[in-house]
Amino acid sequence: MPAVAESYSLGLPVEIDKIDNELKKLWAESEGVMTRASLINLAVYSEAPGALEKNTQLIAKIAENHACRAIVIGADCKASDNRVEAWISAHCHVSRTGSKQICSEQLSFRLEGPCANLLPSIVFSHLDSDLPFYFWWQDELHDPMDPQLWAWVDRFIYDSHGWKDFRAQMQLVETAQREAKQRIVLCDLNWTRLDRIRYAVAQFFDHPASHHHFSEIENVQIDFAPGFKSTAVLFVGWLGAQLNWNVEDGQGGNNFKFVDPTGRTIDIELHEQGEAPIGKTVLDSGGIEFVVAPASCEDLFEVWRSGPNEKPLPQMMPAQSNDAVSLMNQELMRGAPHHVYLRAVNCVRELF
Amino acid sequence: MNRPSEQTQSNPLREGLSVRAVPQPCCIVIFGATGDLTHRKLIPALYNLAADGELPPAVTVVGFARRPKGDDEFRRELEETTRKFSRQSVRDEIWKMFAQSIFYHQSEFEDEAGYKSLADKLEKIDRERGTRGNRLFYFAVAPDQFEPILKNLKTAGLNKTREGSWARVIVEKPFGTDLASARQLNRVVSNSFTEEQTYRIDHFLGKETAQNILVLRFANAIFEPLWNTRYIDHVQITAAETLGVEGRAGYYEGAGALRDMVQNHLLQLLCLTAMEAPTDLGADSIRDEKVKVVRSLRRMTAQDVVNKVIRGQYQKGAINGKPVTSYRAEKNVDPKSMTETFVALRLNIDNWRWWDVPIYMRVGKRLPKSGTEISVHFKKAPLVLFNKESTDENVLVIRIQPDEGISLRMQAKMPGTSFRIEPVKMDFHYGTSFGKASPEAYERLLLDAMGGDATLFARCDEVEEAWAFIDTIENAWATKKDAPELFFYPAGSWGPDAADELLARDGRAWRRL
Repeated sequence: MPAVAESYSLGLPVEIDKIDNELKKLWAESEGVMTRASLINLAVYSEAPGALEKNTQLIAKIAENHACRAIVIGADCKASDNRVEAWISAHCHVSRTGSKQICSEQLSFRLEGPCANLLPSIVFSHLDSDLPFYFWWQDELHDPMDPQLWAWVDRFIYDSHGWKDFRAQMQLVETAQREAKQRIVLCDLNWTRLDRIRYAVAQFFDHPASHHHFSEIENVQIDFAPGFKSTAVLFVGWLGAQLNWNVEDGQGGNNFKFVDPTGRTIDIELHEQGEAPIGKTVLDSGGIEFVVAPASCEDLFEVWRSGPNEKPLPQMMPAQSNDAVSLMNQELMRGAPHHVYLRAVNCVRELF
Repeated sequence: MNRPSEQTQSNPLREGLSVRAVPQPCCIVIFGATGDLTHRKLIPALYNLAADGELPPAVTVVGFARRPKGDDEFRRELEETTRKFSRQSVRDEIWKMFAQSIFYHQSEFEDEAGYKSLADKLEKIDRERGTRGNRLFYFAVAPDQFEPILKNLKTAGLNKTREGSWARVIVEKPFGTDLASARQLNRVVSNSFTEEQTYRIDHFLGKETAQNILVLRFANAIFEPLWNTRYIDHVQITAAETLGVEGRAGYYEGAGALRDMVQNHLLQLLCLTAMEAPTDLGADSIRDEKVKVVRSLRRMTAQDVVNKVIRGQYQKGAINGKPVTSYRAEKNVDPKSMTETFVALRLNIDNWRWWDVPIYMRVGKRLPKSGTEISVHFKKAPLVLFNKESTDENVLVIRIQPDEGISLRMQAKMPGTSFRIEPVKMDFHYGTSFGKASPEAYERLLLDAMGGDATLFARCDEVEEAWAFIDTIENAWATKKDAPELFFYPAGSWGPDAADELLARDGRAWRRL
């Protein structure tokens, strides 16, 4: 089984028009030993040098939880020569019950030169039929996007954290979504990064007796790690969108003012400190503090509320890891459209 | 299922989150706190919920039991067993915090004063931990203890709630041993708690695959049009175990396979398989449809029991090559025991959908393989064209445990120039498709009870209807004269030959697991 990726090699080099035959051979050789599994088509596109190898490692980990047909594409659009190379491989792991080897197949492509424009045709030719198509775009988006491609995408995955110009990039994403008649679900890993902290904050307010605090929030303080201001702004956008706040003053660098429907002002303070993308977060509401803070072990939050007549009952809750595999695993488990994300973006678009 | 109940949707920050709302803070009082169920299932389940952030920090556990011990000793014991039985490994930092919410209360179940001091303790916990007067009483004790506990809870006023708070009781199976005792038990419970406050647990319903039966049937358009007497030939439900009585002989001798498994787990699976679509996903909408299935089960006469129910008991044999003893030679089992360790039944549901579709059920201990599944056998295609010699039918199998999943058997042409047909299988495995492990049944059920969602719990009328049906069989077995035979089968076999004959008479055979 030379094609089984054990040391994250790209696998077996194949001629591009013989991929199907080579895949058949691959599975015929391993019949009875391995089970091919696939729930989604997951295409990954990057123009970064060495991305093919790096993404092969990521796919090997992601496929342990999300069986897929992975189509990994590394492109070098600036290369002068036209070249296309392809490989096939399989990522296998032992199933939870320990009885079977479960394998996801990976098709890898290196596109060099103007042939990078072949992206749609390469993707279309190698989709596993009838399975949803998730497209993970790891670079800045180009203008114009290929409308043909978007028509096929079910979920478009990107990480706005790395965008240099959020508004321009978001506009491209939204154009793509419009061209696909809103069918594409936009999956921003920068939003996924907020999944656990949103949950940790939301749970404070599950009990109806806590709901009055929504209209009494006066101040929100958020720590963020260097480079993660966009994540913090998105988090503020979530609070604003869900609690009907509007930006009143967005010119203060890391300090903003929002106003609620009654005209009450809410101060937002962002502090660049710590190592977690989103660090300690404090919502101050009528003298009660709702606090989510990273615990000493990185993958947990310590969560508590405190006030003048309250004894804090700290609780540990899972925190979101910031590595690409965890973010992807989390995102792929979520499903459903992300309406709240779009509302959050709209709420703070002018702050990016 | 998984709808908001009293956790209203008015928390706008909940929108779009993939994790359900945390339940209201409450105090969980476990009666029988030193027992196996608490150590193996309940505390590990609560720990896992806490570790996943699905419990509010104020949730507090009070273990109520007879043995004298302090909070620290109780916590230490629970830590040891949780480390052993928890689905995910126990992390010191989470356990430390979780353990602070566990307390021990020593009292005899019959001692009224013990409940008075319990009430004081709960008041104190409410004040100090903010549990807001919400109480969940879990009865992890034998049914004969229910009455004194319920009576004393009532006397201590613990069944009453302050405005805005709630009190609920979770009752473990067996809920009665027959219709009369189930009714009596329901009466006893209803003296202290209303039906809305009562949660009768059947852990089979907490399993992901059991819940997936409804999703399979009602979220896929292709199955429902075929799900009736016109297209279905018969249904088989099997619950096989390689284990013997494993230290439960005291209970099992008085219960047997019919009461232990069929009355609850298997009939629940049948209900999910056979029910009509509910009007909505509300607890009562689903339970209304389930109870109609049990009501529609054709009652058996004594002669029907002879013809349609086979009971068996294992003799010595071998499981996986290892010799095992006979049931009668097990510890604490009467050497002349007539308790059945195997039952096979042929049932009929008298309604339009299932008219003339036999339902075959079998359950047994010391069978060659462990597994629970439902198989829906479709009618054969007309014997023309390709099927003149084919005897195979389409079979949809829902595997409940282990290796949860769904498979569909169909006919396919074998490669070659001639038309040779062979059955092939399309197979979906949860474990292969979804890397994430499912939560344990008790996690789901505890969370549901705390959230006030009774969908996955049996209602009073469901339980009584099920017993009414089971009683006709038990009564026939109990008659002195012409009682149906108890067949013996070697451990490691698929039950007595008579069970195979039950299907062979109808021209059918049990599915091979």
